[in-house]
Formats: sequence, structure tokens, C-alpha cells
Amino acid sequence: MKEALAEVQRISAHPDSRCWFVSWSPNGALLASCGGDKAIRIWGREGDLWVCKTVLQDGHQRTVRKVAWSPCGNYLASASFDATTCIWKKKNDDFESLTVLEGHENEVKCVAWAPSGNLLATCSRDKSVWVWEVDEDEEYECVTVLNSHTQDVKHVAWHPTKELLASASYDNNICIYKEDDDDWECQATLQGHTSTVWSLCFDAAGERMASCSDDRTVKIWKEYPSDSGQGVFLVDSDLSWKCVCTLSGYHGRTVYDVAWCQLTGALATASGDDAVRVFKEDVTASPDEPVFSLVAQVTRAHNQDVNCVSWNPKEAGLLASCSDNGEIAIWRFKEED
Amino acid sequence: MADGRQEADELFDRILLADERFRGEGYQEGFERGTARGLQNGRRHGASHGAKLSSEISFYHGFAVTWRSLLEGNADDRSRKRLKALEALLNLIQRSPLEDPQSVKLQEDMEKLRAKFRQVCSMLNVSTDFKEYIKTAEGTSF
Repeated sequence: MKEALAEVQRISAHPDSRCWFVSWSPNGALLASCGGDKAIRIWGREGDLWVCKTVLQDGHQRTVRKVAWSPCGNYLASASFDATTCIWKKKNDDFESLTVLEGHENEVKCVAWAPSGNLLATCSRDKSVWVWEVDEDEEYECVTVLNSHTQDVKHVAWHPTKELLASASYDNNICIYKEDDDDWECQATLQGHTSTVWSLCFDAAGERMASCSDDRTVKIWKEYPSDSGQGVFLVDSDLSWKCVCTLSGYHGRTVYDVAWCQLTGALATASGDDAVRVFKEDVTASPDEPVFSLVAQVTRAHNQDVNCVSWNPKEAGLLASCSDNGEIAIWRFKEED
Repeated sequence: MADGRQEADELFDRILLADERFRGEGYQEGFERGTARGLQNGRRHGASHGAKLSSEISFYHGFAVTWRSLLEGNADDRSRKRLKALEALLNLIQRSPLEDPQSVKLQEDMEKLRAKFRQVCSMLNVSTDFKEYIKTAEGTSF
């Protein structure tokens, strides 16, 4: 393999606990992590090393499952098993708790900001997806509750340019939502995975989506406009996203996370088999039948389940992963031509 | 002589086929009784679940109407948004096919209604803890 993943740094970020999720700030300067210790930590670079800048505690009573930066980088949202979502506002070098969003019946599993920064989505074990609207006074109001899944909803992600929301669930399906006639509706249900869908993400252009699952595969979905003439006459809007590629045979256990680098197009995965893998697309393949190949992998990345992978949005090839052993690892993906 | 033999044959036939005949009659009788009991049970089941469902929807209706009259006088942004959501809830209630218990949309419509109710509660800062009114019907399987 010409490409390789080199370890830059390993941090015991949430000692004696699990590190569930890491998220880069939009300018790539900060990394937020969260874990079973109910804390959120903010990491920044000092020289060559990433060091802890701030710890956000006392916001949650239970595990913090995910964190998300607002597109402007001034707010941080955290989703917790205590059934609440916290909004934190950046003040100089510190963060203060701005508001707490309540409404879910139990564990909130994920939170995501729409590209406009005016909408926020949350999802929960209570099988629902909520969309919140932010007004000028920093007040959050629920604009819709969506009950399209029949089980625990694991992840939500927004389309990079449109106000289109996708959710992944324990019911093996992916739902796509859109605002229609003043209310939000499930526009499509994507079936294909044979077990829990743990995560999903869009590519930079928003034309494709990658999803990963307990069925040990990663699937690539492509959007086909209804009039594209792709051999299917799309009477049913459910057919607007089609699975064009399935990566199977690479992962030994559940694939917990997938991240599409917005700069290079490389696809990284986090798996329960303790590996971090990077796939690249064969540029010569037809866009309707894309081909991805494994170009780099670290097999014993953390000694335990890898929960999350995240590409730095500004520095190409810089990848963060985190694990059940409480660690964060920073990797550099090198390509040689 | 020939007549006598025929009579005897018939007699034997009747005895030989009695088992089958009685089984047939018994089956028919049992079937009718079972049908009647099934109908009765079904009716009772339907009535009890229908009552639960209707009390749940009526609760939402009363809730929405009450909040609408409380907010109606206010012209501020917040109240207008809340009123809009309440109207949407009332609309869903009106459109739900309550008159048609066999509607295939009933389950889906109920899910939408419950979701809208939760959104309205969140907007009004009201806790959704109305278990004694709602939960009873939630487990209904169709």
C-alpha cells in the first residue's frame, strides 16, 4: 500500500470511561470530545500537540453521546442519555451553558446543526427525530416531531447545502426528511442494511450518502432526481436515493461510524473490530457504479471498539478517532503519488 | 326378497356412516357457536380499544381548544407560532378517519397526531406527562 495512516498523537481523553464521539470545529482549530464521564472536553493545538483547553462539566446527568459545532463555530450542542440536549455558547476561551432542550422521553443519541445554523436536529431512543428552530434571541423552538422509525434512532445528519435531513436507526432503515408545505415529512425510507444503521454522512457535494451498519457493511447511496431516466420510473419518491455500492468483507465487526472527507473525498470508518480504515474511490469508475478500495488501515487502533472517526475540515488527511477505552487518537493519512 | 336386502343395506349404511354424519353435524354446530363467540369477543375488544383511542383523541382536542382560547388574544410572535401549531394539531384531529375503524391510515394518523401533540407540548413548555389520558391507548395493536 502506498498510502498509510500514521499516528500523530494518542490522548487519554476520558480516562476510566468511554469516549463516544469527537467533532472538529468548522475552522479545524478545535476538537470536541464527549464520553461516559458526562464531560465534554475541548482540545486545541499547542505546538505539535493537542492539549485540553476546557472541560465542560455539570451540563449532563448521564453519558454525553454526541457533540456538534454550529456552522459559525460559536455554539456547541451536546446530546446526552439524560434525555436532554445542551447548547453551549463560546465566550472568549470558555463555554457557558445557554439553554437545555427537553422533550425527548429518554436517551438522546445524536444532535446535528443544519448548514444554515438556524435548525437543529436531535434523535432519541424514543424512536423520534425532532427539528428545532433557533431565533435571533437564541431561543429554541421545536418545529416538528417525526415518528418515521419503529426503533431507536441512532444518528442524524444534514445535507451540506439543502435543508434535507437523514436519520439512521435500529430498525435497519434510513429516513430522509424535507420540509413540505409548512411541515416536515419523511420523504424516503431507504432499506438495504440487514441490521442497525449506526451512522451516515454526505459527501461534499451532497449527491451521495455513506451509511454504516451492524451488518458489517458500508453502503453508498446516490440521489437520482425523479426525471433522471436512470432506468427506473420514479412514481414513488421513495426511490429517489439508490444504493450504488456496498463495501463488504472489510470489517470484522459492526461499523460504528463513517466519515467522508470534504477535502479529499477519502472515506474513513470506525469499527468494533478495533480498526480504523480509509477507502478511496476509483475515479475511472462510472458514477452509477462507484468502486471503493481499501487504501490504509490500522488494525489495533485502540485495543477496544472504535466509536467514531472524523476528518479535520481544513487540514486534509488529519483524522481523529475515539474509542471505548477512553482514548482519542489523531492520525495523518498520507498519500503518495 | 330383493326389497328386503336393499332395506338391510340401507340400514347398515346408516350405521356405518353415522360416525361421519354426527361428526359433520358436530363440526357445524361448533363452528356456529365459535363464530358467535368470536364475534362477541371481537366486538368487546373493538369497543374497549375504540373507547381508549377516542378518549385519547378527545383529550388532545380539549387540550388544543383550551390552549387556543388562552392564546387567541396575544399578537406576539411566540403566541402566533404556538397558535399555528395548535391549529395544525386540530386539523390533524379533524382529518383523522375516526368514523372508519378499518382505515389502513388509522395507525399512521395516530402516530402523526401523537408526534404533533408532543411538539405542541414542547412549544408550550408543558410536560407531556399525561399518562392516565394517553398511554392507555398507545399499546393498541391493530
